[in-house]
Amino acid sequence: MKLDELTKGLFKNNPVFYLVLGLCPLLAVSTSVDNAIGMSMGVLFVLAGSNVIISLLRHWIPPEVRIPCFIVVIASFVTIVDLFMHGYAPELHERLGIYVPLIVVNCIIFARAEAFASKKPVSASFLDGIGMSIGFMLAIVVIASCREILSTGKMIIFGYTLIPSFTQSPSVVMLLPPGAFLTIATIMALINYRHIRKERR
Amino acid sequence: MNRLLRISIPLIIICIVSGVTLTASYSLTEERIKAVEERTITEALSSIFPGASFTKTDDYYTALAQGEEIGYVFITEGKGFSGTIKTMVGMYPNDTISRIYVISQTETPGLGTRIAEPEFTNQFMGKRIEDLRLRRDGGLIDAITGATISSHAITEAVRTGAEVARNETR
Repeated sequence: MKLDELTKGLFKNNPVFYLVLGLCPLLAVSTSVDNAIGMSMGVLFVLAGSNVIISLLRHWIPPEVRIPCFIVVIASFVTIVDLFMHGYAPELHERLGIYVPLIVVNCIIFARAEAFASKKPVSASFLDGIGMSIGFMLAIVVIASCREILSTGKMIIFGYTLIPSFTQSPSVVMLLPPGAFLTIATIMALINYRHIRKERR
Repeated sequence: MNRLLRISIPLIIICIVSGVTLTASYSLTEERIKAVEERTITEALSSIFPGASFTKTDDYYTALAQGEEIGYVFITEGKGFSGTIKTMVGMYPNDTISRIYVISQTETPGLGTRIAEPEFTNQFMGKRIEDLRLRRDGGLIDAITGATISSHAITEAVRTGAEVARNETR
């Protein structure tokens, strides 16, 4: 049962394709696989942390003001992560620096605080945070791979060339915002198509 | 009144705790962050004129090799697509650019951030000040596809900075 809290975020309740959350950073950061991995590592850290803290405080936060409370907790968490990363892991900060403040506006974190961590015990909330982040990572890496391959004609991850350049004229539109919408829409259409066919049987 | 207190006290406590934690984290990391930033500057300087030593004057650094002035380095800022782009520029005494190095920027990941990559910055090497414009403005710098605003911002910043530096180093 416990393990289910971890795995449900991967496919069954995937935050991006099933819950349709976190599209804003997804659109912005899915231009290359490097960026996608960086962003999801930040989300993993903040989501697991904020879920734990909010779950710890869940009996004590009055329901009327829960939203401001969650926001203060999440924003403080992000700022602390940003400061310590800058001071103690400057290389990592240089890579992820621009995504860390973006994490505050990632609605997956807020949605999990509201829908899950504020109602469930600490261990389940922690697992939920990890699972949801991995689900987010799966989604953003798949989308970023499509966009990187189509927009640059090659795929390079952290300096390692996975797919060498295969075309002289890659399609730049995939790098621009419309490319993100096209990719997400295509993948979602495929997923929904499968669901509909399954239901018909 | 009771209800008001019951609601507001936890929120106030959370805000106070968060404020205290943030202050503590800030003062704990302040020195490290400053050191990191200084190191970034030193690294940028030595990537522009490798092996040189630097003396700092008011607005720029003078690069010295065996006691001879081999160039100047200054920092210039421009408003990019989403925030300030801070660039370090190295200039030879004959007013051509040796290298540029982007110190900080907050452009769109994957698009505007490419202004910091060698493919773009290497274009500035050896250029004269008057050629530091995008091609559409009659210069010799190729803009990055999809990031014209960022490319324009950094090119303009480098040129205006170089013009100021040329007058100052005379």
